[in-house]
Amino acid sequence: MNQDWTTLSLLETLSCTFGPSGCEDAVADVIRTHVERYCDEILPDSMGGVIAYVRGDGTPLDGPVCPRRLMFSSHMDEVGFMIRSITEEGLLKISSMCGGDTRVLAGRRVWVGNESSQVQGVFGVKPLHLVKSEDRGQAVELEELYIDIGASTREDAEGVVHVGDYGTFASDFVIFGKDKEYIKGKALDDRVGCAILCSALRQIYAAGLRPACDLYFAFTCREELGISGARTAAYKIDPDFAIVLEATAAGDITGTADYRQVAHLGRGGAVSLMDRSTIYDRPFTDWILKAAEEEQIPCQIKQYVSGGNDAGHIHKSRAGVRCAAVSAPARYIHTASNVVAKRDIESMEQLVMAVIRRLCSKKEGRILRCEIS
Amino acid sequence: MRNILRQLIKIPSVSGREERLAAYIAKEMRPYFDTVERDALGNVICRKTGAGKKLLFCAHMDEIGFIVTFIEEDGFLRCAPVGGIDFPAAAYSRVVFESGRSGVLIPEEGTKPKDYKGDAFVVDIGAKSRAEAARLVKIGECFSLEGRLFSLAGSRICGRPLDDKLGCAVLMSAAREADTFQNDVTFVFSVQEEVGLRGARTAAFAAAPDFGIAVDVTLTGDTKGAKPMAVSLGKGAAVKLKDASVICDGYLAKKMASIAEKQKIPSQKEILTSGGSDTAALQLAGAGCRAGCISIPLRYCHSGVETADMRDVQACRDLVCAVAQADFADF
Repeated sequence: MNQDWTTLSLLETLSCTFGPSGCEDAVADVIRTHVERYCDEILPDSMGGVIAYVRGDGTPLDGPVCPRRLMFSSHMDEVGFMIRSITEEGLLKISSMCGGDTRVLAGRRVWVGNESSQVQGVFGVKPLHLVKSEDRGQAVELEELYIDIGASTREDAEGVVHVGDYGTFASDFVIFGKDKEYIKGKALDDRVGCAILCSALRQIYAAGLRPACDLYFAFTCREELGISGARTAAYKIDPDFAIVLEATAAGDITGTADYRQVAHLGRGGAVSLMDRSTIYDRPFTDWILKAAEEEQIPCQIKQYVSGGNDAGHIHKSRAGVRCAAVSAPARYIHTASNVVAKRDIESMEQLVMAVIRRLCSKKEGRILRCEIS
Repeated sequence: MRNILRQLIKIPSVSGREERLAAYIAKEMRPYFDTVERDALGNVICRKTGAGKKLLFCAHMDEIGFIVTFIEEDGFLRCAPVGGIDFPAAAYSRVVFESGRSGVLIPEEGTKPKDYKGDAFVVDIGAKSRAEAARLVKIGECFSLEGRLFSLAGSRICGRPLDDKLGCAVLMSAAREADTFQNDVTFVFSVQEEVGLRGARTAAFAAAPDFGIAVDVTLTGDTKGAKPMAVSLGKGAAVKLKDASVICDGYLAKKMASIAEKQKIPSQKEILTSGGSDTAALQLAGAGCRAGCISIPLRYCHSGVETADMRDVQACRDLVCAVAQADFADF
């Protein structure tokens, strides 16, 4: 792997940027700054997303069904929490925005604040010595958890944070393991997708590619809170095809039965057939799988029906959108330490570029669908 | 009508895999409509333009079923439900794949019926190894309980999937009267109803009708131990007032009931306390429309022995035609 691989350094910046659902402006700024020189236009988005537009060359592709507008979508937001109240003692009580899994919070380092400034804190938890014997081994209830930011009174705390401020995990971006193959960090769900899309925009620009159809790269908000950003972005863009780039829960080493492992690290992007929010368009998905096979790009079928992503709203937008999804397998998703494999990111990037190059070719760009005879 | 139904049951159409059924229906509908089109999600949209109100009738093509998610070392298949599978009712049944291949749906040994859920089930297709199974069935392939249709006493029929191939048969039969429709009528054969009313939503967005009318099955209150419900098999087309997903438009429900009365079509009122229908998606798509539903009473819904009365089915067909012919000038 090339050491100065730009995707990786961008991923590090994105992973370390503060962006819980509803407070994605800092992430949006990083992305906008990076991609504005690579696209024809950045379109405004009412939810705070970034939509980078690459104009097609205007000539329709051959074939019975050809895309006019292809949307790529990755969400900028990460799981986090909101400050709900501040106690007399200067401790912060929270409202969870990560599915309420308190197992992953206790004892963690966090950032608390807003898009422009944050302070450090830790999730306080009673040391084992003081826990009643019957409560040992139990997950802590959300109501008992608090964030300690080093303030001793409510007034002290209110000097630096406010009710309604946001919080995220504080977690270093680390490249580790044999051959430095694995990446650990927060928010890799779905900054991995964002980094790949940024990289694709850069490569389109560098190679002077002009696809036959218009491309829209949507970096969306609030996916973790009900997919609201992708819904409005899809309505605005009105695409006929969409590809969602995501991160999905890899259960490959967690003691999960093999048929429930979803995806495996190192085997390439996981292509979805069905999840809890979407049944993916099969001819479009097959077309993507064929591209991967022909160009020998590793990818895997996501096994087990679980989760959902931006496609849940995109495919039902307006008169309907044909959707596909490719996800980076990620261990320990929705915790402070997501783990992904470098080569999966590389494979997904290659796959996105293979799709885009095919859309530049009149012959390969045909996306066939059984037509009514 | 029974022949139409028999043809529809022969073609598998698990949610998301309606392609073959859609192609069949589109071909059959072409002679009766000005345009027959497919949209991005695969809905079949048949339109006969006319002078009156813009009416959209919608029956869903998809049936509940399963998708193969994993192949075990020993050749058993793992699967996930597509739509609201009643696992106790599905256990130890023959299932049929898109390729026509058979298998049997079996709970893991020792599983108690109360724990019958997707992960507790495997499919035995007779394969002795992963390699053999992988040659016969692909991950992502869908299957469903064997389709069938047989007669019970009188005008009662039994089999599966009657939900909602009965509704499709009602519309396909009504289409033969399309020449008599006074309104601007669109028939939608929708996809993915069983997984969240997905197809009806995009079809209704594009059509933007004045009135959206689903044609779907409903539960009845006349089975042993049934929850109280004022719908019975054999008492005619049920005009929906409310279900768990929608409150129907009051004007449209009254209008349909009065049309039925005038034309002497047997009808009854329906209030369904659990379960939804495409009606909700029609109502909320785009800027919304006035939505209602003509329901076919059905016993043992989502089982292998769904039971209906052909007289009700005929009444629903007659009501669809009468509504499509009706004058909405009073609106």
